[in-house]
Amino acid sequence: MTDKKEKINIKAALTLATTALLGCTASQVQAQEADEWAFDAALLYYSEVDRVSAAETIFNANKTFANDEVLNLKLTIDTLTGASANGAVAQPSIQTFTRPSGNGQYQTPAGDTPLDDTFRDTRVQFNAQWTQPIASNYTGSIGAHFSKEFDYLSLGVNSNLAFDFNKKNSTFSLGFSYFQDTLTPKGGIPNPFTSMLVGDSARSEDDDDDDFINIDDGWDDSFALTRLGKDDTKTTADILLGFTQVINRQMIMQFNYSYSVVDGYLNDPFKIVSIVDAGGITQDNIYESRPDTRIKQSAYMQSMYHFDSTILDVSYRYMWDDWNINSHTIDSRFRIPLSEGSYIQPHFRYYQQSAADFYQPFIMDNDMPSEFVSADYRIGEMTALTIGLKYGMLINDGNELSFRLEYYRQTPTDAGFTEPGVLQDVELYPTIDAIIGQVTYSF
Amino acid sequence: MRQIDVTLLADDNSHSITFNAMASPCEVIVQSSDKKLADELGCVIANEVWRIEDKYSRYNQSGICYLINANAGQPTNIDQETFQLLTFAQQCFELSDGLFDITSGVLRKVWHFDGSSNLPSKKQVNKLMKAVGWKKLSFDQHQILLNSDMEVDFGGIGKEYAVDRCILLARSLTDMPVLVNLGGDLAVTSPRHNNQPWHVAIEHPDIDSTNINSPSKNNKDMIISLLNGALATSGDARKFLMNKGLRYSHILNAKTGWPIKQAPRSITVVAPQCIQAGILATLALLQGKKAEQFLKDQEIKFWSRR
Repeated sequence: MTDKKEKINIKAALTLATTALLGCTASQVQAQEADEWAFDAALLYYSEVDRVSAAETIFNANKTFANDEVLNLKLTIDTLTGASANGAVAQPSIQTFTRPSGNGQYQTPAGDTPLDDTFRDTRVQFNAQWTQPIASNYTGSIGAHFSKEFDYLSLGVNSNLAFDFNKKNSTFSLGFSYFQDTLTPKGGIPNPFTSMLVGDSARSEDDDDDDFINIDDGWDDSFALTRLGKDDTKTTADILLGFTQVINRQMIMQFNYSYSVVDGYLNDPFKIVSIVDAGGITQDNIYESRPDTRIKQSAYMQSMYHFDSTILDVSYRYMWDDWNINSHTIDSRFRIPLSEGSYIQPHFRYYQQSAADFYQPFIMDNDMPSEFVSADYRIGEMTALTIGLKYGMLINDGNELSFRLEYYRQTPTDAGFTEPGVLQDVELYPTIDAIIGQVTYSF
Repeated sequence: MRQIDVTLLADDNSHSITFNAMASPCEVIVQSSDKKLADELGCVIANEVWRIEDKYSRYNQSGICYLINANAGQPTNIDQETFQLLTFAQQCFELSDGLFDITSGVLRKVWHFDGSSNLPSKKQVNKLMKAVGWKKLSFDQHQILLNSDMEVDFGGIGKEYAVDRCILLARSLTDMPVLVNLGGDLAVTSPRHNNQPWHVAIEHPDIDSTNINSPSKNNKDMIISLLNGALATSGDARKFLMNKGLRYSHILNAKTGWPIKQAPRSITVVAPQCIQAGILATLALLQGKKAEQFLKDQEIKFWSRR
C-alpha cells in the first residue's frame, strides 16, 4: 500500500514540476488505440429454491473506430426452467389446475403455494448500439433491440444525444426508446375474470392434433370460450433525461429521470386469482385483469467515489407509477484492489416496493372487484435483499476473468389483508431465495 | 543547412511544416488552409526548436550546456530558463530515487550500444562513476558549479521540453488545431475541428496499459487517436549490447553505471504535457522488469515494446 502511494505521488509531483517549468496548467489527456475489438463473454446461473432456474450466456463485443465511433454488439441467450407461482392461494387440500395451454392439469399438494411447473423457455436477445461524436461536444447514439422467445417477440429502437460542457466536466443527455412486444402464449390469451376451467382434458390432450378420432366431450370448445384470441401486443415509450457532473478528481455524480408509457396488453396470461368463501376455501380461480396502460416515472442518483485505491459506487432509485406502485432501490459496490491486477468487490442491494392498487392475494366471494385484480406477488408489497461478492483477476495472458456469487432473498409482505378461515394456517407470502453465479471472461 | 518546408496536405484544409532538428525529422501540422498562418507557425516553431537545440546541445560551443561542462570546476552563470530546467531535473532525480540523473551522460564514454558484445570492465565503469552524481553539483538562480570531471546532459528532457514550448507558442499564435511532432515525441494544442482526434502511428507495441501480461504477436504499427495531450517514447529498440547471450539495454542505472536489467526496449506514454510523458516513460524503463506495472499502478496509458 505505501509503495503504491509513493508511486501515485510521482505522477502528482511530476505534474507540479511540469507546471513550474512550463508556466501553465495541465490539460486533459485523451488517447486510445483505434480499431480494436474488445470482447466479454459471461455465463450466468440463477436458481430460486424449488422454483425457476435460469442459465444465461452473454457475448459482448465492442469496437472503437478511428474517429471515436463505438460499435457495441451484445448477444444474450438464456434458458429458463422450473416453476413459478400462478397466483392462487395455498389450501388445506390438494388443488388441481389446468395448464395455460389447456392441455393437461397439474396438482398442488395441501398447504403448498400453487406453482405452475410448465416454465421452459429459451430466449435469444440481440442488441446493437452505435455511438459517435457528431459535433464539437455532442455525442449521438442509436441502437436496436431484438428479443425472441417461444411465445414472445420484442423489437425496440433507441436514440440518445449527449452534450458536454463546462470543460467536459458536465454532461447532459436526452434519450428516447420505443419497444413493441407481441405475446403469443400457447393456449391463447385468457379472458380476464373468466374462471379457469378444470375438467377432464386427458382425452382432448391426445386428440390435440388429430380431429379424425376426436371424441368430442366439449372440452376444447369450453376452453376456447375462456380465450380472447391468439396474441396481443404492448408498446413501451421511454424518455430519459440524464445529467452527469464531475465533482473533483475523486468523485463523479449522475442524475437520471425517466418517464415511461406502457400501453396494450399488460396482464400476465399465466396468472390467476383465487375466490374464497368466508372460511377461506377456494370457490373458483379467475384470470387476472390489469389496466391497459401504465405510466412509470423514476428518479435515479448515483455517485462514484475514487479513494486512493478503492472505488465506492452507491446509487438510489425511486420509482412510482399510476398503479400506485412505489419502490426504493439502494445499490452499492465497493471495489478493493488486491495484488497483481486482481480485486474483490462486495455488492449490497436493498429493494422495497408497495403494492399496486388492484393487487390482492385473493378475492372474497362477497366482494368481487369491479375492474382490475391481480394476485401476482411481483406487484405486491415486498422487500428484497441481494448480497454478493465479485472476484476479478488477470490470468496468464493478461485477460480478465471474474467470478460473481450472490444471494438474493425476496420477502413479500402482507399489505393488511384480513385472512379468513383456513388461509390463516397457510403461507400466503412465501419468501423466495435464489443464488446467482456468474463467470465473465474479457479478452 | 536549416530549411523549413511548408506544403498543403491532400485533404486541402491542413498544412504540413517540416524541418530537421535534434537529429530527427520534425513536423508541424496545422488544420487550416491559411498558407500565411502556416508559414508563420513554421518559422516560429522551427526557430524555437533550433534555439533550444543550440542552447542545450552538448556539442554546440556557443551553447550554455557546452559552457557549463567546459567550465566544470568553476561556477558558470545561468539564465532563468536553464535554472528552471535544472530544477526540473532535480525533481526527476528525487522522484526516481536517484535512478534518473542528468550527470550520468559521461558513462557514454565506456558504454557503446552498437549491437556488439563489447562490455566495459568494472574498473572502467567505477572510474567514471566518480564523475556521476547529482548531489555533487550545486546551483541556484544565477549560477551552477560542477566538479571538474563532471558533465550535464539535457538529452533526456530537451526534445520533450521543446515540444511543450512549441505548443505554447502555437496556442499564442492561433486557435486552429496544431500538432507538433519532433522525431516521435509529440503533442497537440486541441482536438481537430469538430472534436475529431488526431491520428498518430507508433511502432508496433507488444504490451499496453490494458493488457500488461500478454505481449501481442501483432507486428503492425499501431494507430492511436489523440484528442488532447502529448505522447513521448523513451528507449530505442536498436541500441543494445549482446554479451554471453544477455541483452544489455542502453538504459543505464545512474546509481551503478550498469544497464537496467530486463527493461523494455521502448515505452510510449500519454500525458498532458510531452515532458511529463517523456519522464514517465524513462522512469518506467528504469524499473526494468516492473516497467509496465509501474505505469499501470499509476493509471497511465502506455504501450511498450519488449
